[in-house]
Amino acid sequence: MRRFELALPRSIDDCLKILTERAGEAKVVAGGTDLLPQLKNGLLTPRCVVDISGLAELRTVQRADGQGLRIGAAATARTIELDPHVRSKYPALAESGALVGSVQVRNLATVGGNLCNAAPSADMVPPLLALDAEAIILGPKGQRRVPLTSFFLGVRQTVLAADEMLLEVAVPAPGPRSGGHYLRHTPRRELDIAVVGVASQISVNDGVCAKARIALASVAPTPVRALAAEHALVGQPVTAALIERVAEVAVEAARPISDQRGSAEFRRHLVRVLTRRTLTTALERARADRRED
Amino acid sequence: MAKQILRCAVNDEAVEVLVQPYATLLDALREDLGLTGPKEGCGTGDCGACTVHLDDQPVASCLMLAMQARDRAVRTIEGLSKGALHPLQEAFVRHGVPQCGFCIPGVLMAAAALLNEKPRPSEEEIRYGIAGNLCRCTGYTKMVTAITEAAASMPQGASSR
Amino acid sequence: MSTMKTTRDVRGVGLSIPRADGAEKVTGRVEYVADIKRRGLLHAKLLRSPHAHARIIRIDVSKARALPGVRAVLTAADIPELKRKAPTRAHAVLAIDRAVFAGQPVAAVAADEVAIAEEALDLIEVQYEVLAAAVDPLLSMQPGAPPVADAGTEADTSEALAHSAVAIAKGETPTKAVNVSQTSQVKRGDVAKGFAESDVVIEHTYRVPMVHQGYLEPHAVLAEWDTAGNLTLWASTQGSFNTRSEVADVLGIEENRIKVIPVECGGGFGGKIRALCEPITALLARATGRPVRYVMTRREELEAGMPAPQVIIRLKTGAKRDGSLIALEAETVLESGAFSGTVLAVSAVFLGSLYKWPAFDIKGSEVLTHKPSVAAYRAPVAPQTIFAIDSQMEHLARALGLDPVEFRARHLSRPGEPMVNNQPWASHGGHEVLQKAAEHPLWKERAGWKARGSNGKLHGTGLALGGWLGGLQPTGATVKLNPDGTLSVLTGQVDIAGTNIALAQIAASAYGIDIEKVKITTGDTDTAPVTGLSAGSKTVYTVGVAVMQAAQDARRQTLEIAAGELEASVQDLEIVDGRIVVRGVPDRGITLTQIGRKGNLYMSKVPPVLGSAHPAFSQQAPAFAAQIARIEVDPDTGEVTLHEFVVVQDAGRAINPLGVEGQMQGGAVQSLGMALTEALAYDDKGRLTNPSLLDYRKLTAADLPSIETIIVEVPSPAGPFGARGVGEPPIVPAPAAIANAIHDATGVRITECPLSPERIALALIGQGSTRPTA
Repeated sequence: MRRFELALPRSIDDCLKILTERAGEAKVVAGGTDLLPQLKNGLLTPRCVVDISGLAELRTVQRADGQGLRIGAAATARTIELDPHVRSKYPALAESGALVGSVQVRNLATVGGNLCNAAPSADMVPPLLALDAEAIILGPKGQRRVPLTSFFLGVRQTVLAADEMLLEVAVPAPGPRSGGHYLRHTPRRELDIAVVGVASQISVNDGVCAKARIALASVAPTPVRALAAEHALVGQPVTAALIERVAEVAVEAARPISDQRGSAEFRRHLVRVLTRRTLTTALERARADRRED
Repeated sequence: MAKQILRCAVNDEAVEVLVQPYATLLDALREDLGLTGPKEGCGTGDCGACTVHLDDQPVASCLMLAMQARDRAVRTIEGLSKGALHPLQEAFVRHGVPQCGFCIPGVLMAAAALLNEKPRPSEEEIRYGIAGNLCRCTGYTKMVTAITEAAASMPQGASSR
Repeated sequence: MSTMKTTRDVRGVGLSIPRADGAEKVTGRVEYVADIKRRGLLHAKLLRSPHAHARIIRIDVSKARALPGVRAVLTAADIPELKRKAPTRAHAVLAIDRAVFAGQPVAAVAADEVAIAEEALDLIEVQYEVLAAAVDPLLSMQPGAPPVADAGTEADTSEALAHSAVAIAKGETPTKAVNVSQTSQVKRGDVAKGFAESDVVIEHTYRVPMVHQGYLEPHAVLAEWDTAGNLTLWASTQGSFNTRSEVADVLGIEENRIKVIPVECGGGFGGKIRALCEPITALLARATGRPVRYVMTRREELEAGMPAPQVIIRLKTGAKRDGSLIALEAETVLESGAFSGTVLAVSAVFLGSLYKWPAFDIKGSEVLTHKPSVAAYRAPVAPQTIFAIDSQMEHLARALGLDPVEFRARHLSRPGEPMVNNQPWASHGGHEVLQKAAEHPLWKERAGWKARGSNGKLHGTGLALGGWLGGLQPTGATVKLNPDGTLSVLTGQVDIAGTNIALAQIAASAYGIDIEKVKITTGDTDTAPVTGLSAGSKTVYTVGVAVMQAAQDARRQTLEIAAGELEASVQDLEIVDGRIVVRGVPDRGITLTQIGRKGNLYMSKVPPVLGSAHPAFSQQAPAFAAQIARIEVDPDTGEVTLHEFVVVQDAGRAINPLGVEGQMQGGAVQSLGMALTEALAYDDKGRLTNPSLLDYRKLTAADLPSIETIIVEVPSPAGPFGARGVGEPPIVPAPAAIANAIHDATGVRITECPLSPERIALALIGQGSTRPTA
């Protein structure tokens, strides 16, 4: 690791001030699980690193006014994995948190880091996309909300300006009779990174799909929604045959590359398989959902 | 580049030590505090050899900056036991677990954290509990046996001390 | 030198006892090189070529030298000792005018801190002229391929000799195919005629990519010179004497001016035999006048270590309907990277000698490419070769409708039968191992397992047989009796695998004393007798004999002294509970303590007891292992779940069963890694695309079941108490066992490792076999 200065802001305002002063040569660190390997590899060489891990208000996961979630940028994957409310009402998100790295990594890795690092393979992003989450960003001019569908610009690129920081991820409640599931394919069971990841979130009314979200990881420069596949579901009675067809349509949203983790052909095949599987489980969970309102 | 003062608890003792801002927690433990039990196997959080406890949770210390441990409690393998060996350590010795020994401190810290959370883990839970720790010598089998045995011998709810 | 019975009932050979350093290891007190502190220590970093093949036009280190905290920057121009044509990788300390693999060191820095050394690397300016690189081994074999070696560099066969004492068949030196550095051929009979007569002819090409040995502790060395020009190296090494010799040769200084201290080694598996970082670290220490430590990063290990070679085997076999084997034809290509160093002969031996072929024609080639050069990896080339021959035997058996185990047993060579080089097979337990495996429930109940596949998952079972011929290397050991009646054993052998406790047990049993009274020490190159490598599955087999003979020598001396003291004759004496007594007359005796003390008293006429031995060896002891894998395959994703796995292995005589089990389980998991997930993946420019442990995938505890072990004992004629080497056999069979299991489950025969989910899924799609599942 090359040398750098380390700023230890005591408040969010403090942090913002430093980012404004050092814009362009500063990098925020929370869990460090993506940043430190990049610093060690020389991929990034900031003059100043800003540590937000000490800002307690950023580490919490809260219910928002009784519905929805407010996830602090520095909430850890482990928190997401274990939080009872998240596990019960946002199971796809909890599942994705549980898959990050290993327990030693999950205790450090943060939701905000997963978003801001913006790798195409980020595990916690597809479930958040499928839940219509929004990023709450703080800058010198105040706060702004950006739907996650607009948050990612490319590989490792987001809409965050150099003097901005991610505060929170706001997740609306999924609504009644909704269910979600996240699956990824990896060669190993732990310490691995998604070759393909799929999150499905579906709401049904008397067997008819009221709302559908399908989000894919590792098949494009950013995590993407499979919009055509979603449209093919909405308003239809959800049957195994429909799921099969929808899985096929989802493949069209994928523009995978071939690299040493997997070929494009295999990735397209996995999109089909994992879309089918996650939709099937999401449907079961939707049917079992006894949520009111 | 000016050093910074790290104040935290390490193995139940308050410490105050000067560290480089760019030092990882692993570096600081090994170089500045003389605790060479945690090892660097990869530096990128992919092998678990650097596993220590941060406020009783297992973390990859190679992925933390040293100063991120300020005001927190760190435990390394050197602090797993005082005097007599921890039941996990005893079981590892008895079952002939350590071969080259390099992964062992990390595995023991991961196992201790697991037992704090799940005092009577199943084989699957043990395997996932140490899945973040790579070992090239043993094939993990004797580790699982030793951890199961140590767990059975410890009172439920025992801490990692 | 034959097998020796234990003297009386002492606690020694055969006990499952933990090694003595267990407590130090579980408390984190054991020191590895990176843990050692020396006053004034500097840290080394190497600048490495980003290009697989490039001319070095110019290197400017002036800015790096000027960075505060930098104490030395070296390029080849600063090292007059460097040979223009480096005969081995170790001699290529820094590239002189040409880089021959991506990752080759071109400059070295020593600085106060690692971070400063890294910044210094950024300040070194290198002008390269990028050249075409030979990246694909098969293309590299063609005339006109970009040349790798400096003309005149010899093929380095020292590794082969350390690991296996098989005679090497010399081939012609190639003149046109510049990158073919070794060739071999063994033939018997007429294979063309054989194939014409065969009822079934099967041909496959098998491929196993380069893999890394995967030791958790990266290469590390600390070098320090004294004012008289003597060098001390604290090294993570599998052989301190080999390290000393190589460093002496590279630096052009005498061996007795170098002391290599073998520090606790965090795994080697063959990758820490050859010198790698030691010469450059020593040179930096000399240039700065201070101790310098170099610890490789994991990225450097993967990019610029010394991996196992890629192995490509085209194998054609013919058999008759009655199950008789007729002919075998093979072409083996071993990709050695930028320097020669593979063990060609081993592949030929296993291909043609494991099973009996009336006619065979086996050609082997070693080819150089612009990639990091290879070194040994636990049973070098054997897992890859067995992957080929065992898969092929399985395929033949199935094509003929014969039981796969009976088919192997029928054709497995017996002791005394000729190998491909016409040497007779030494005594071995291959048949016993196969028999034992066949009796295992995993094998016997495989039909039931297969039938239980449900929810779209496919079940299968696979068995494979492999082994290792056993290495030989001369060695020495001493055993002394301490004044308090305890024993101290001294060897130079590095204890990575737990061999020290086995050696102590051998000493205990051979001398006639309880294991509790025996301490074993590994000395450095100044204090220990010349010792061979901790490799080749030969530590217990050779150092064990040395220790046994030294202990017997010490016992003889002890009894002779006692005979004098007791006025009895030696043959009437025995050692019981630390006392030498006259048989049948328990009152007449003298304690070991008394003898030991007498040997240390002022003006005493009794000499101290010092047993020593320094044998050389000629008789190998092959050791076989069979493995059975019970798997489940998800045909849609290609994922393989390993449900159960057993290793059956012939240990000859298990000196310490606890230690033997550990070797069997660890070797099996390395073998499974090669089978399922591991590969060094290079792009078409010869650069590694997976230089981290995220993408170089070693198996985790969550990927595996408990590995069952079954030890078979078919004593070796020459091993201590009948022991055979146990380190290497268990890494050999798994790739074949898994491929056989996948075939059993899915009907697909995959001949390329790793047997990844992608390969399986796409093969099934290609077959038209995927169908919707849950």
